[in-house]
Amino acid sequence: MLSVLVWLPIVAAVLVGFWPGLAAERARQTCLVVATALFGWSLWLVARFDPAQGGLQFAESIAWAAELGLYYRLGVDGVSLPLVVLNALLTWIALYSSPSGVKRPRLYFALMLLVNAGLTGGFVAQNLILFVLFYELGLIPLYLLIAIWGDSERRNYAAMKFLVYTAVSGVCILGAFLGIALAAGTSAALDYNASLTTALPLQAQLILLSLLLVGFGIKIPLFPLHTWLPDAYTEASPPVAILLGGVLAKLGTYGLLRFGLGLFPETWHLVAPGLASLGALTAAMGALAALAQKDIKRMVAYSSIGHMGYVLLAMAAATHLSLLGAVLQMVSHGLILAVLFHLVGVIESKVGTRDLDVLNGLMNPVRGLPLVSILLLVAGMASAGIPGLVGFIAEFLILQGSFPVFPVQTLLCVVCSGLTAVYFVILLSRTCFGRLDNATAYYPAVGWSERTPALILTVLILVFGLRPGWLTIWSEKTTGEMAASVNTPGPVARVASKIPQVRSIPLNPLSTLP
Amino acid sequence: MTTTRTKLPPSKHRYATVIHRLEAGGAMLPDTPENLMQIIGLYKAYAVPMDFYWRDLLYIAERVFLDPLPFFKYFLPGEYLERPNHYAGDTADLRIWRGGATAHPELRAFIERGESGKMPRLLHHLWHDRINMEFAEACMRAMLWHRGMGGRFDPYLDTDEYRANADRAIRAYFQGNPAMLALHRLFPEMFIEQVRQLSYYSNLGLFWEVMAPVFFEMSDLYDEGKLTSVPEAMNFLVNGIFAVAGRPIYHHAHIRGEIFEIVPKSKGFTWLYEAALPYVEAVFYRTAPFRGTKSYNAQAKQVPEDQQDFHFGILYADVFPVGTAGIPPTLLMQDMIHFLPPYLVDYYSKHCRGEQDTLIQLGIGFQRSMYCVTSAVIQALRSALFYPLDDPNPRHLEANRRFFELQIDRFNRPEARLLDIQRQDYR
Repeated sequence: MLSVLVWLPIVAAVLVGFWPGLAAERARQTCLVVATALFGWSLWLVARFDPAQGGLQFAESIAWAAELGLYYRLGVDGVSLPLVVLNALLTWIALYSSPSGVKRPRLYFALMLLVNAGLTGGFVAQNLILFVLFYELGLIPLYLLIAIWGDSERRNYAAMKFLVYTAVSGVCILGAFLGIALAAGTSAALDYNASLTTALPLQAQLILLSLLLVGFGIKIPLFPLHTWLPDAYTEASPPVAILLGGVLAKLGTYGLLRFGLGLFPETWHLVAPGLASLGALTAAMGALAALAQKDIKRMVAYSSIGHMGYVLLAMAAATHLSLLGAVLQMVSHGLILAVLFHLVGVIESKVGTRDLDVLNGLMNPVRGLPLVSILLLVAGMASAGIPGLVGFIAEFLILQGSFPVFPVQTLLCVVCSGLTAVYFVILLSRTCFGRLDNATAYYPAVGWSERTPALILTVLILVFGLRPGWLTIWSEKTTGEMAASVNTPGPVARVASKIPQVRSIPLNPLSTLP
Repeated sequence: MTTTRTKLPPSKHRYATVIHRLEAGGAMLPDTPENLMQIIGLYKAYAVPMDFYWRDLLYIAERVFLDPLPFFKYFLPGEYLERPNHYAGDTADLRIWRGGATAHPELRAFIERGESGKMPRLLHHLWHDRINMEFAEACMRAMLWHRGMGGRFDPYLDTDEYRANADRAIRAYFQGNPAMLALHRLFPEMFIEQVRQLSYYSNLGLFWEVMAPVFFEMSDLYDEGKLTSVPEAMNFLVNGIFAVAGRPIYHHAHIRGEIFEIVPKSKGFTWLYEAALPYVEAVFYRTAPFRGTKSYNAQAKQVPEDQQDFHFGILYADVFPVGTAGIPPTLLMQDMIHFLPPYLVDYYSKHCRGEQDTLIQLGIGFQRSMYCVTSAVIQALRSALFYPLDDPNPRHLEANRRFFELQIDRFNRPEARLLDIQRQDYR
């Protein structure tokens, strides 16, 4: 079942890329049909998924190159399922919001599908080598998507920077996985399994975990490995930025959760305090850098770094509540960032600038972009964690879950959350409010095809904000087991056991949520 | 002896092109067929609601008077709809428009049906599907508030004679109403000030009574192909101004069948000096910073200290206020959109966002047309106070130029739209 999600886009990409005489519009339509099918399929998976079961479901396994430890082994659990669905949704959104008049359309659409396949593969791969393969599969198409279809002259620079950083990230992860294989001395399947590392000495575990941290830290990205992100996000066209920020960054956090925390539960607590501080630092850096930006897309890009910091804090704390918050934050951030990038793209295409000093008064009902402005307002509020929207739920779970373990870092993140509101208020007040000057405001009207993706995402942000239970139900069991595996024997658990409310908090309040 | 005619050297003014155009008998608005079509179309769209405005202004000044609860002041009675315009129809003192003297048929149809269809007038009123009389009142208030803009009408409002006339009318109106009479005794200035305002109602009503037929006639001439350029349109206005310059401006109140001459005709106040010029000054140039169009910060000196430096009129306006109810330019645009000639509807649909932003497009077109009206006023003043444009004496031409430059200096402010209207793509 999962293979369909992986192979359908690859087959479709090949067909779209090589089918003789395929017209641009037809290529787009084909890709949209495929993306719809993928989204439908992922929803069907959701329908068949048993949330009461914490382990892998829909597992598939074929020996591929057994001597290398490479098995074609797929499966989803409560952590990867929401991300698989998110990937399918955002791919559809990205394809839908791609204009059919894009240059070299067949290559473009084929690459978008390949990115989707790589990301889905990454989320469902249960074999370490297979994961690296999929991880790398997304890299080249994204490099090309930035380099060929980027926004400005700096796109080549941004794409190359992205390629170098992400390649290093891939090498680190591959190195760590091979290190696990070597150190474990096993020629057995390099499958995802915590027992792979239990025999390793602590020092080796620390080295391998650090390698993974660097590898995934680049992808997320964490301070100070983040410098590729503002360039790549800003230079990428909006649909590509949606995939980059909405899903690709989640592959980093997912990888860290799955392979960092999952494979090294014993060692995790040793690095956790540092990670939590790094998370808070990343959040602070993202927020402060966003405050200083004059380009709204760059502002959104930096806000993305900040939000990833919360995820790291939550993973470092590794309580049931915080891990659940981390998964929720991945999804919520994916939705919010996608809508922000889409809207910024619409604004840029209509107004012709992203400069905060030039933009003004877009809320004007007649000559402005009123609906776009309203949606931007909602997305900004969601990103700033205003109650009633999905961003609030995610941040609340993270902060509440992390506070008992890392109070100082959590409080710093609370401050950063406040800063998020500040820079979004700056963005919104400059962009949407104020006075539209009729000397410049001859913007084309926004069509329904441009509004639809943002409307869909906004509805989801609202619905999940009001009914977070619909989102948390899938991951509760898995994150609970993960938290238990980390906290059972180690010092973290001892610390946590001194604080009874940590144990009492999990999910009781959540289950009463609407 | 032959005199050599020396042409003046080119002006060094920032708006030299405009000044040269004025010297050649043109308008501030460039002479293009597109401009002509826009301004004439909007004169027509403006004239229909204006036909309501002047009638209702006079109705309020004469009949509603000091009604403390004037809920129905916008419900124009048939008598005022039938009231013959003095410059149209067979009974005209001076027939400017060849059409009828009573309310315009399109206006009557709109009063009847509005946008929402036929229903009782009260429902139309509550649904705000009606002529926005508030716009006319805002113009009147601009004149009242600025005051002192030339002419003898305004100083007269502060004379003892006026106060005595007003007092008489107030006592007659509140006859048998001891409460209001007691109020009048307690606060003797209160009702007098109200009557001053009513005198401005009358002033503006009498002013617009002339302008409506002028605009109708211009529209008809354009439709007949007899008005073919912007200078022709402007000259029609100049001629119209001179033709009716001496029209008396007065304020009579009709109280219980008796007419109270609050500002008697015998005072000799005239249309040009006591109504037209103060109107242009108050409404086109000054007005007031309408709330909602933009946030003005008085402490940051965004609002001038002296009223005469105000510059919020249509010649300076950023015609974007659409969307917030109650702002006078918005109200006027909303009134005009109902009466656009088909060629303008067609024209707007082809530009910018078509139907979606017609209100703004027509607002900017209206700005163009008011630059044409202001040009006519400037040319009329030049004609009255200075010299002909083809005067052979260079000193006279020099004086004309100084006058033009002085007038155009008022558009040196950054907010002025004079530069914008030179471009056809300013919509």
